[in-house]
Amino acid sequence: MKTLKKLRSSDKLVTLVWVVGLIIIWELCAFQVEAVKRTPENVLPHIWQIIVSIFNTKPISSGRTAVQIVLTSAGSTLLRAGYGFLIGMAVGFALALFMKLSGLIEKIVFPYLMLIQMIPILGMAPIVLAITHDIGTSRVVIAAILTFYPVSTNTLAGFKAVEKEKLDLMYLCAASKTQVYIKTLIPSAIPYFFTGLKISAPMAITASILVDTLQGDGGLGCMLSQSLKHAMSIYVFWQIVFLSAIVGVLSTWLMGVIEKRISPQKRFRKQEEV
Amino acid sequence: MNEAEVAIKIDQVGMVYHDREKEVTALTGVSLNIEKGEFISLLGPSGCGKTTLLRIVADLIKPTSGRVLIDGETTEKARKQKKYGMVFQSPVLYEWRTVQKNVELPLELMKLHKDERMARADKMLELVGLSDFAQHYPQQLSGGMQQRVGIARALALRPEILLMDEPFSALDEFTREKLNEDLLYIWQRTNKTVLFVTHNIAESVFLSDRVCVLSPHPGRLSAVVDIDLPRPRTREMRDSPEFTALVAKVRGSFEGV
Repeated sequence: MKTLKKLRSSDKLVTLVWVVGLIIIWELCAFQVEAVKRTPENVLPHIWQIIVSIFNTKPISSGRTAVQIVLTSAGSTLLRAGYGFLIGMAVGFALALFMKLSGLIEKIVFPYLMLIQMIPILGMAPIVLAITHDIGTSRVVIAAILTFYPVSTNTLAGFKAVEKEKLDLMYLCAASKTQVYIKTLIPSAIPYFFTGLKISAPMAITASILVDTLQGDGGLGCMLSQSLKHAMSIYVFWQIVFLSAIVGVLSTWLMGVIEKRISPQKRFRKQEEV
Repeated sequence: MNEAEVAIKIDQVGMVYHDREKEVTALTGVSLNIEKGEFISLLGPSGCGKTTLLRIVADLIKPTSGRVLIDGETTEKARKQKKYGMVFQSPVLYEWRTVQKNVELPLELMKLHKDERMARADKMLELVGLSDFAQHYPQQLSGGMQQRVGIARALALRPEILLMDEPFSALDEFTREKLNEDLLYIWQRTNKTVLFVTHNIAESVFLSDRVCVLSPHPGRLSAVVDIDLPRPRTREMRDSPEFTALVAKVRGSFEGV
């Protein structure tokens, strides 16, 4: 038990070192930028300047402060990213299941998956927007497209990684195909499914922000590009950068928490031989 | 031998694999009658086809020649009647299920009622000495304990035939000997016909009524050695001159190794 506790605390130590290291590097760079640039906040402001800007009560655009603008636009962007993520998750899982059920479907569908993955979002987003004519729907669609690929491929890999003996056991017990899926294949693929979710959760958010930049209709990406064009305070940009980084990390962390909740084996570490 | 007592009839079984253009003969002309309640070992070095033979008996693969009959019926019929319990080389436990739920798994597939499942699992866990660990998860157990869960699971279906594919080969010598003794205890309490694959000569002699020696290239049955040591077998017997003599006899019956 003691060694276990030690391990956990050393995990925390690693995180701490990481965060502190990042802050130090950022600040070193910020001082350097400050020394050579005329408008350093456009390149790299100090972290405290960003924090101060969060608590700044001076309205900067149509009577709202920077942080109010960021949070309201974050609402619409993240909500749509969330919808897209859920749809992508469901479609990705279903597709993996179909590909597992039929090798023919896998052969037909898989190249298309690769293809979709290879089109850059910057190219795909305007096409989706042109089809849907709605920035909100486009966010959902793009987030879903980016989510379903990692989920689908990882889940399929999970189906394929099942111990052969487990399938032998099912066969020897004369299990039906449905039973094989419900009792063995799907539970075995769950950790892989979550690996896919952990990869795609922050991607869905980034994609949703990127789609925003296409149309001046609110949303994080829209504010971000306005801020970059100096239509409003540059600190809106930096706040958005920080917010999306934090939300991205949190989304991955959340997937880990959910995985632990639903799979008991993740709650126990391997024990030493007795 | 009286035909009615034959549990497993292996009749001129052969197995040929096609590896690219080469033909590989894994097994040729294996015939053997196994009586009900007998403990039989399939002993041989790697590549002698002992696991292939076990998998043919289990209906996991079809032989390319000959046939296997279980109580006079095909292996497929025997499988569908749940006559097999199988223990693998690795424990093959379901990590997301507790020990108890692992043992219940085959019973769930049979759609048995919950109470019946629990009662049977309890009984099996008691038999393998793991009652106190019913609510543990597999990764919390040692290798030997995990393999015991595998045995309990195989017995839960109340099969007539217990098939064991080198079940103790990944364990250390001490654990292996302990599990050998425990397996004999379980076997005497349950009266199953056991087909036990191993590459350990002492293990096969200690456990079996008969040791079937298989030789490689091509895989064939080269000798059947009767083990007439009295039962119940005890740890002390391992050091007896009779035991040593039988081990030497079995070792002497290998061809071309």
